[in-house]
Amino acid sequence: MAQKTGSPVAAAIAGASGARPGPELIQLRELIYQTTGIFQPNLKLHLLADACSSRMQALDLPTLGRYYEFLTAPTSGHAELSALLNRITVGETCFFRNQPQLDALCNVVLPRIVRARQPMPKRHLRIWSAGCSTGEEPYTLSLLLLEELTGRLQGWTFEIFATDINENSIAHAVQGVYGCQTTQNLSSDFRDRYFTTNEDRLQINGDLKACVQFSRLNLLDEASVAQLKDLDLILCCNVLIYFGGTSKRRVVQHFYENLLPHGYLFLGHSESLYGVSKDFQLVHLPSAIAYVKSENKSLMAPMEL
Amino acid sequence: MKNSLQPTLRERLARLDQMPSIPVALLPLLRSLEQPLDRLEMQEIVDLILQDGSLAAQCLHLVNSPLFGQWQTVDSIRGAVALLGMQRMRDIAVSCSVLKLMPNNSADFDPVVFWEHSLACALVCRHFAQRVGFSDPRKAYLSGLLHDIGIVAHLWIEPKGFQAALRLARTEGLPLHQAEQTVLGQTHCETGKIVAVRWRLNPDLAAVVGCHHEPASTDTHRGLVAIVSLSDLLCRMNGLGYGYVEQQQVSFAEEPCLAFLVKEYPSLKIFDWARFTFEVEAYLEEVQRVVALTYSIAR
Repeated sequence: MAQKTGSPVAAAIAGASGARPGPELIQLRELIYQTTGIFQPNLKLHLLADACSSRMQALDLPTLGRYYEFLTAPTSGHAELSALLNRITVGETCFFRNQPQLDALCNVVLPRIVRARQPMPKRHLRIWSAGCSTGEEPYTLSLLLLEELTGRLQGWTFEIFATDINENSIAHAVQGVYGCQTTQNLSSDFRDRYFTTNEDRLQINGDLKACVQFSRLNLLDEASVAQLKDLDLILCCNVLIYFGGTSKRRVVQHFYENLLPHGYLFLGHSESLYGVSKDFQLVHLPSAIAYVKSENKSLMAPMEL
Repeated sequence: MKNSLQPTLRERLARLDQMPSIPVALLPLLRSLEQPLDRLEMQEIVDLILQDGSLAAQCLHLVNSPLFGQWQTVDSIRGAVALLGMQRMRDIAVSCSVLKLMPNNSADFDPVVFWEHSLACALVCRHFAQRVGFSDPRKAYLSGLLHDIGIVAHLWIEPKGFQAALRLARTEGLPLHQAEQTVLGQTHCETGKIVAVRWRLNPDLAAVVGCHHEPASTDTHRGLVAIVSLSDLLCRMNGLGYGYVEQQQVSFAEEPCLAFLVKEYPSLKIFDWARFTFEVEAYLEEVQRVVALTYSIAR
C-alpha cells in the first residue's frame, strides 16, 4: 500500500505513524481556537501544518512541541500568534471576498432589517465596517447596497462607516485606487459601472465613494467607538482574532451597545464568538453564520418571503 | 393543481407501483448490519460487494477518501475490509448502493445532488452523534444516508409533480418538504414511511425516514430522529441541500427538537455550534470531491 502523497511538510508534521494528524498539531489547533476563535477543521489541518512549518523555519525551532512552547511563552507568545494568524487567515483583502456571506446579507438579512425598521420614521441604514483595512470591504458593501436601491431598498438611503487602526490603510482606502489582484472577483459589469480604468489600476467612482466615511479608529478607544450609535449591521472580519480575551470582550460589548435591537454582527470566515459573549446568539444563514442579540427572539421567527 | 393530482397520486404513492425493487446488494447489506459482529464473515462482505463491479469500484473511491479516516491508498475490496474493518466497509457499501436507487432519467433533479446530500448528512449525523455521546454513531450514519428515500420514491412515481415541487422550492427558496406538501399534497417523509414498511426497514430507521421534518411527531427513537433532523438542516444551510439555496435564518439553539436532546445529553446546552459548523464545512467540500469522482464510474 502506497503512502498518499500530500504536502511533504504536512507529512513530516503528522503523527509518528505518518497517518493521522499528530497530537501536537491538534493541541495547537485548540490553542488557536481558544485564544482567537479561528478554527481549522481536520481536513484543513495541513494548512495549519504548513503555516507552523514556515514559522518554525523562520525561528529555527526544530519541533512542533518547541514551537508550541514559544507560542505560549509570556514574552514571545502574543507577537508570534499574530505572525501565525497572518499566515492562516490569508491577510490580503479583496472585493467580494466572501460571496456566500454577501449573498446571505442581501437575500436574508437585508429583508429582515427592512421589516424590523418599518415602524421607524426614517428609511435609512447605518452600517459599520470595523477593521476595514484598505477599503475593499466597505466599497463592496456600498456597491451592493447601491444596486439594491433599485430593488429591495427602493426609497431608502444608507451610510457606511469604515474604520481601521492603520492610518496608511485608511489613506489607501480614501484614495480608492486598486490593482488587479484585489479586484479580480469584480464582474465586468460592476467594473464598468463603478470604476474608472487608469492603465492597470482601477479608480473607485464618486458614487461609491460618497456612501462611505473613512476614519482612523482604535476599537479599544471607548469614547470614539461609543459615537457609532444605532447601527443596523457591523462587519468585523478577522480583526477580533488579534485581541486578547479581556479586550475582545470589551470590543464585543461595545458592538452590542452600538447595534439596534434587530442588528446583525458578521465576523470573518471560520471565526467564532463562542465563549466570548452571551449577549450575542449565533444564527445560521445560507452558507454563512452571523450573530444577533440574544434577547431578540422575534428575529428567529420564520419570515414570509 | 393540488386537488386534481392528489387522490390518484396518493393512491399511487401508497402502492408504490412503479418503485423499483431494492438494489441487489443493499438489502443483504442492511440485514447484515443488524447482525452481531461475531457472526459476520469477512468473505461474505467481500462477496456481497463484488457481486456488482461498479459498486466495488465506487466503494474503493470512498474508502480512499479522508472522510473515512483513511490516509493510505487501498486497491482491493479485500484489502479495504482488512484495513477498515467490516463495519466501516459495510457503511461504505451501503452508501454506494443508495446511489443505485435513483432512476436513470430524473429530468431536472441531479442524482449527484441527492447523493451528496445523503452522504453529507450521514457523515454529519455520525459526527454529531459522537459529539453528543449518542450510543450508536453508526446507526446515526445509516439513518442520515437513508433519511430521504421518500424523494427517490417521488422521482420514480411522480416525476412531473416532484419537478413542479422542486421548481416552486427553488423559486421561492423554500424547504423542499413544504413545496412537496403544496404541490403533491404529501411530503417525502410520508412517502418514505411507505417505502420503509415495504423494505421492512427497522423501526428506528422508519421513524427517521418518516419524521425527520417533524421530529416532535414521533414517540419512539426521538434521539435518533432529532440527530438526523438537526444534521439534515445543517447540511442544507451549508450548501449541501437539494441544489438550491433555502433563503432562511436558523438558530440551532432555538430548534424545538434540540430541547429534547438537551434533556438526554446535557452537554448540548453549551454546544459550540460555530465550531461544529466549521468542522462540517470541511467535510462537505470533501463530499463533493469524492462524489464527483465516484459518480463518474458507470452505474
